[in-house]
Amino acid sequence: MSTIVYAARRIVTMNPDNPFATHVAVRDGRILGAGTLESLSGWGRFDLDEQFRDKVILPGFVEGHSHAYEGGVWKFPYVGFFERTSPDGKRSPGLKSIDEVVAALQVYEKTMPKDGSTLFAWGFDPIYFTGRRMNLGDLDKVSTERPVLVLHSNFHVLNVNTPVFARANITRHTNVHGIVKDDKGEPTGELQENTAKYLAYKAVGIDLSGLLSDEPATWGFARVAQLAGVTTATDLHNTLPDSTVLAYEKATASVDFPLRLLPAFAALAMPPDDGIARVRALRKKNSERLRYGLVKMVTDGSIQGLSARMRWPGYYDGTPNGVWNVGPDEIDRILLAYHRAGFQVHIHTNGDEASEVAIESVERALATAPRWDHRHTLQHAQMADAGQFRRMKALGMCANLFANHIFYWGDVHYARTMGPERAERMDACGTALGLGVPFAIHCDAPVTPIGPLFTAWCAVNRLTASGRVLGTAERISVADALRAITLGAAYTLKLDEELGSIDVGKRADFAILDEDPLAVPPEKLKDVPVWGTMVGGRIFQAPRT
Amino acid sequence: MIPFTVIGGFLGAGKTTLLNRLLAGAAGRRFAVLVNDFGALDIDGKLVAAHGGDTVALANGCLCCTIGDSLVETLLELLERPERFDHIVVEASGVADPARIADIAVLEPQLERDGVIVVVDAAEVQERAADRRVGDTVLRQIKAADLLVLNKIDLADDPAAVHDWLSTQAAAPILEARQADVPIDVLFGLDRYGVAGSKPDQAFRSWSYAWSEPVGREALMAMLSDTKDVLRAKGVVRFADAPDRRSIVHMVGRRIDIGDGGPWTEEESRLVLLGPKPVLGSLQRE
Ligand SMILES: [Zn+2]
Ligand SMILES: [Zn+2]
Repeated sequence: MSTIVYAARRIVTMNPDNPFATHVAVRDGRILGAGTLESLSGWGRFDLDEQFRDKVILPGFVEGHSHAYEGGVWKFPYVGFFERTSPDGKRSPGLKSIDEVVAALQVYEKTMPKDGSTLFAWGFDPIYFTGRRMNLGDLDKVSTERPVLVLHSNFHVLNVNTPVFARANITRHTNVHGIVKDDKGEPTGELQENTAKYLAYKAVGIDLSGLLSDEPATWGFARVAQLAGVTTATDLHNTLPDSTVLAYEKATASVDFPLRLLPAFAALAMPPDDGIARVRALRKKNSERLRYGLVKMVTDGSIQGLSARMRWPGYYDGTPNGVWNVGPDEIDRILLAYHRAGFQVHIHTNGDEASEVAIESVERALATAPRWDHRHTLQHAQMADAGQFRRMKALGMCANLFANHIFYWGDVHYARTMGPERAERMDACGTALGLGVPFAIHCDAPVTPIGPLFTAWCAVNRLTASGRVLGTAERISVADALRAITLGAAYTLKLDEELGSIDVGKRADFAILDEDPLAVPPEKLKDVPVWGTMVGGRIFQAPRT
Repeated sequence: MIPFTVIGGFLGAGKTTLLNRLLAGAAGRRFAVLVNDFGALDIDGKLVAAHGGDTVALANGCLCCTIGDSLVETLLELLERPERFDHIVVEASGVADPARIADIAVLEPQLERDGVIVVVDAAEVQERAADRRVGDTVLRQIKAADLLVLNKIDLADDPAAVHDWLSTQAAAPILEARQADVPIDVLFGLDRYGVAGSKPDQAFRSWSYAWSEPVGREALMAMLSDTKDVLRAKGVVRFADAPDRRSIVHMVGRRIDIGDGGPWTEEESRLVLLGPKPVLGSLQRE
């Protein structure tokens, strides 16, 4: 029962009774206390560890909406527009044109065995490119021997080369939705629908979902989270097949696994009665680093994918309304089943019509089966307005807002999808805070990179990639943003009594930073370096590059 | 190639009733049934078992993580099984666009896209179509249909008015039904070779045509598209512009697909048509 007292430049606790400290005492993986060396000395014998005396310690960051696929995608080369960090700490530069992407793929192709094996890359992000779209000819320059597939950053669109079309039998005569054709009727190499994409994967022998959720992928996810100071992260939508459950169990069994992993069961994967039994059975496997119990429902699509369900007046550029992943009647039925069974349900809603339907669904569930402290949470809720936040507050709901969207897609929302007014109030952290709706902010990795300090920076500054400020009224303070990525997120996961602040009895989960996020200028928040983390008293230093 | 049918329609329209009828009436044909909507999993298990079929519950495609696609995945697993099926039917979820699901059969060489059948609740469809949240979904499904089943016609206040309204929404032929009681042959094909062998429902007739000389493509297409009451056509045709190929003609509702069936080896072109009698009188041989 050894006790270690860590000294730090400053400890930001998120505990209002004791907001700042210089020392924190850790025993048995838990926090014995935070204060001064003197105030902690009453706990008895301890070792003083001063390795963090120049560092700033915060509660370990909690990522309330990410996907463990983030760990698996790094098995493949990244070709995105923005710089991105892999689990081993290497930075992949952003690629700013189709030619740069092609050149990077040509270099990578040379490192591959000459056996015709498939080259798969991900993260391609052409929305800031001007001019033409990527086509077959571009990827044929990479290889005409092996299949080349490039998945876009939105994970919806896929570009391929001629060998892929040859194997998948796709020609100008293939009349299928989502196979993009040019004005002469020739397929361009772009595939936009699941069916066409899936058959392309099959034709080249890629089992993507398998590759992205095995044990090495799970480790990759934990490492990439660790680099960002994250000690707890959700895998917020998983059908949890036995193979994935086994991979999670094996990976998290190691004390060196630097993350508490919270998989959320995909409620639409099976009938509610079976799903409830499944989550109950999985809960028995819960351990310190693996926590089942969350349930996720997906109601609509995505705003930039033109598939969000919007209220009147709909898409700014006149695009027809998006699609329901599951219809309003079914949302009621499924939500009620999990609600009655005592689960907390996380509901993906991007468009404001989806948010409206979900809020009303919770209202009906509560009228049918009253329940306190359910904390049903809208995930994304990007277009929710003040009225919807007032209803969420009244119903005891939480929101997890997609602050990273402001930077990555804010310009597109302003110009094409939402128009100025609704874009100015997208991901309305200020409104949530003002109305007292408990909220978190998130990255939805691998859709955007995991990095709570970056996400907090988005909520504080609300800058788009082009430098436009979207809605100063919705900005929140650095302190509020830091709370949202720690205690706020823990609250939306019902873990706020165990995690999220540095307080007696809580887990010794820390984000260890080289600089003080409360002292740097707010516009530098994203640049605060992460030294590493502590999870349950174990130290995990981030690799330095 | 295995015929592939998608049954679409909004929640409560009667898709499952239709499936149960299909399974009950499908003597001798082995159906695999995939249900993409667990809300409707009350398919009679005994019927499925009796036909050596298979009921598989599927997840909805999730847009939050669109990496996998459980429907396509399950379907391809099904095709890899040793037992063969005469027909595969997918019951689409209540909000799915059934035409998108049918695309699988266009891409997968082992499958032959048969029809997209959309079941409509005569008593509720107009109200649903006007609903601000689901109206566009309902109309999208109706427009996706090759054949429309106007079900629960007995429950509609004004059946003729609903029928008329529906015919303004889509070009597909409309079959009125009570409790999804529709002729199985019309919906699911004559039999797997398109040769008249089964006995169509009394209200429907099948006609066989044969031509010894090559057939003009445009003339045949015009003939098929002109005769509004032909609900189905299937045949092997030697077109004048491709006399050394077997062209497989396949029509469900208003949709006509022509596929290549390899080198010409037959004695004559054959075509079987199915529709309500006696409207095919005008259809003459060339
Ligand atoms: Zn997500
Ligand atoms: Zn989502």
